Amino acid sequence: MTNMFNSTDSVKTSLGSQKYIASDEISTIVYLCQKLGKPLLAEGPAGVGKTELAKAIASATGRELIRLQCYEGLDESKALYEWEYSKQLLYTQLLRDKLNDTLGKAESLAEAADKLAKEEDVFFSNRFLLQRPLLKAILSDKPTVLLIDEIDRADAEFEAFLLEILSDFQVSVPELGTLTAIHKPFVVLTSNNTRELSEALKRRCLYLFIDYPNLQEELAVVRLKVPDLNPKLAQQAVEFVQKLRKADMRKSPSISETLDWANALVALNASNLDKNVLEDTLSVLLKHEADLQKAKRQLNAPPPQQPKPRNNDEFGRFSGN
Amino acid sequence: MESRILQLIAALRASGVRVSLAESAEAFSAVDLMGIQDREHFRLSLRATLIKDAKDLPTFEKLFPLFFGSGQPPMMGGNPMDDLTPEEIQMLAEALKQFAGQLRQRMERLMNGEQLSRAELEALGQLVGLNQADNLNYQNWMTQRMMRAMAFPEVQKAMKELMEQLAQMGMSRERIQQIREMIRQNMQGMQEQMGQFAGERIAENLSEKPRGENIDNLMNRPFEALSDADKQLLQHEVKKLAAVLRTRIALRQKRAKNGQMDAKATIRANLKYHGMPMEIKHRNRIHKPKIVVICDVSTSMRFCSELMLSFLFALQGQVRKTHAFAFIDHLESISEDFSGSNADEAIQSVLWRMPSGHYNTDLGYALNNFNDDYMDTLNSGTTLIIVGDGRNNYNDPRLDIFSHMSRRATRTIWLNPEPPLMWNGDSDMPKYAPLCSNVLKVSNLRELADAVDDLMTG
Repeated sequence: MTNMFNSTDSVKTSLGSQKYIASDEISTIVYLCQKLGKPLLAEGPAGVGKTELAKAIASATGRELIRLQCYEGLDESKALYEWEYSKQLLYTQLLRDKLNDTLGKAESLAEAADKLAKEEDVFFSNRFLLQRPLLKAILSDKPTVLLIDEIDRADAEFEAFLLEILSDFQVSVPELGTLTAIHKPFVVLTSNNTRELSEALKRRCLYLFIDYPNLQEELAVVRLKVPDLNPKLAQQAVEFVQKLRKADMRKSPSISETLDWANALVALNASNLDKNVLEDTLSVLLKHEADLQKAKRQLNAPPPQQPKPRNNDEFGRFSGN
Repeated sequence: MESRILQLIAALRASGVRVSLAESAEAFSAVDLMGIQDREHFRLSLRATLIKDAKDLPTFEKLFPLFFGSGQPPMMGGNPMDDLTPEEIQMLAEALKQFAGQLRQRMERLMNGEQLSRAELEALGQLVGLNQADNLNYQNWMTQRMMRAMAFPEVQKAMKELMEQLAQMGMSRERIQQIREMIRQNMQGMQEQMGQFAGERIAENLSEKPRGENIDNLMNRPFEALSDADKQLLQHEVKKLAAVLRTRIALRQKRAKNGQMDAKATIRANLKYHGMPMEIKHRNRIHKPKIVVICDVSTSMRFCSELMLSFLFALQGQVRKTHAFAFIDHLESISEDFSGSNADEAIQSVLWRMPSGHYNTDLGYALNNFNDDYMDTLNSGTTLIIVGDGRNNYNDPRLDIFSHMSRRATRTIWLNPEPPLMWNGDSDMPKYAPLCSNVLKVSNLRELADAVDDLMTG
């Protein structure tokens, strides 16, 4: 399965079969990434389905998903590889007899050293290499999807370290030499934009900005993921969430929160979005006390009066603004 | 097509988007792959390869249609003459006669529903100075000027009179309505055509705009001698400079290893020596400074403070904690503004919130505010930075509070654009200076960058 998607439409349908609704934008860019062999850098607010996209791509193509969660202080030994010293030691202990056999017959010290040197590869081989996500993605004998999640949380130095992997799909292990990927993994990086990523990293990726969905898109997602919710309520709920996003909140509700809320509504067997239901379940949607208070105040306030449409003069306006 | 894409890239660069050579090459291979038949795919392939930052997306969306327009000229309403009866045409001609020559021509032109030719647009553009415009913000303004050059407002008024005239002459109400609607559409069509033309022309000007002047020059130029355009350029430069500083500082901070022994790491590292502790690992304690910065954002100091805040923002990762305050006549905490990821927006919102007045700078009172509310931000390990000229308008300098503050902080650094020679008049600098551990003169960007470098690692 070297060629995963044949066209942008096939991206769309196969992601759709994984219950991921991809917009034209997402499917086009995913298709481009795959064709150009470039990593995909997905940016956007938290909870709009960036990680979900990588998972959907993996399951749509039947590839294994290898995930590397970034955090401050992440370093090579946790991201790439580490020698398994304890296993090496154990092996030397257990193989002592065998070593004695091999080396015992040697006439001189030099000969013994030569013999040992011949066997040395045994101890620095893949057998003792503890593969961390990045190396695993490169050495895997089947094509994989590599998800580097929340890259903006890692240090700037780690970013620099990623560059070799992202552009050439190879890593250097001093004892073994350079390991090159058998199958180029499909790489997805996600970022919440808490800090600016380096130019060098951005240059190597194709950029996809995923924003909050509009009403129809979000409704489609809710209908797909929470089929039990009755359509009228779903419509109301999504409209309400969209309204909250327009208000100035400390943390706007994300799609994942909308889905949690929809599930909560199903669990409570709600039939209508009335005041009581809202008061009970709003905390699923909003995670800050200040936001909660604000939303509740808005709920109680009378709906704002619709401004009357202004009469255009005969030939319309020419202000051009 | 290729040259058009290159022009777009040039225009993007001129609007401040960083597009590298590798990225433009990639844009071409993406376009090769996706083809240009589907406009949406074409747009997305260019966008994904050229734009790598969410804040540059609007620029792209604005420029793209200007270079690769929808290809269709705006809709015209059509010629209202087409379905008029002969006597109605007679009536219209009669009614038109009352208007003077030029105005009448223009009105007839509008009623024909014919589009402006390229030559006419060029002439109009020439007339309003479109060739000098190289900023997309001028697009609307230019369109308006072109409309005025076409005497749209007068024509509009005349049209109204014409309609009244026709009504008096006994044309049916529906017919008049119909003519009116068509003329309205024609006018709108022309307006759109002019808007499109203006946008395209500006975008082309943008792509031909030569690169800005030598940055080095600007960096050494004193803040007060900078024009607004220079300031924008420098804002860009600050980001680059901050990136350089960041790596340098990160390296130097790393080298200062003197932490406790790390038992876990030591055991792990010494497994290869049979568990014999040959290599002792230390916890990598990085001395990241805590910073409290108090910025004067009055008119004279505004730009300097702005740059300083940009620096501090860009260096967040190298600092344990930053508390930022701004003052003119009173002190405000601005740390909240800087919690997002966009420094420019944060600074703008602060400056907007604290409009500068005239001669109302009062550091003494600001220090008093600090004493009341924020003194606990200063403790051991904190570097206190004041950005200001120390000109207090003869208000009480509150040296008592200041000396208390500098005793609490590990270091107190004052960044002042004025050299000691100029500390006279209402300057309280001679009084404050002995209480600081260091007073640095920062009158241009170069000096500011050096000062930042110094305070991060000193």
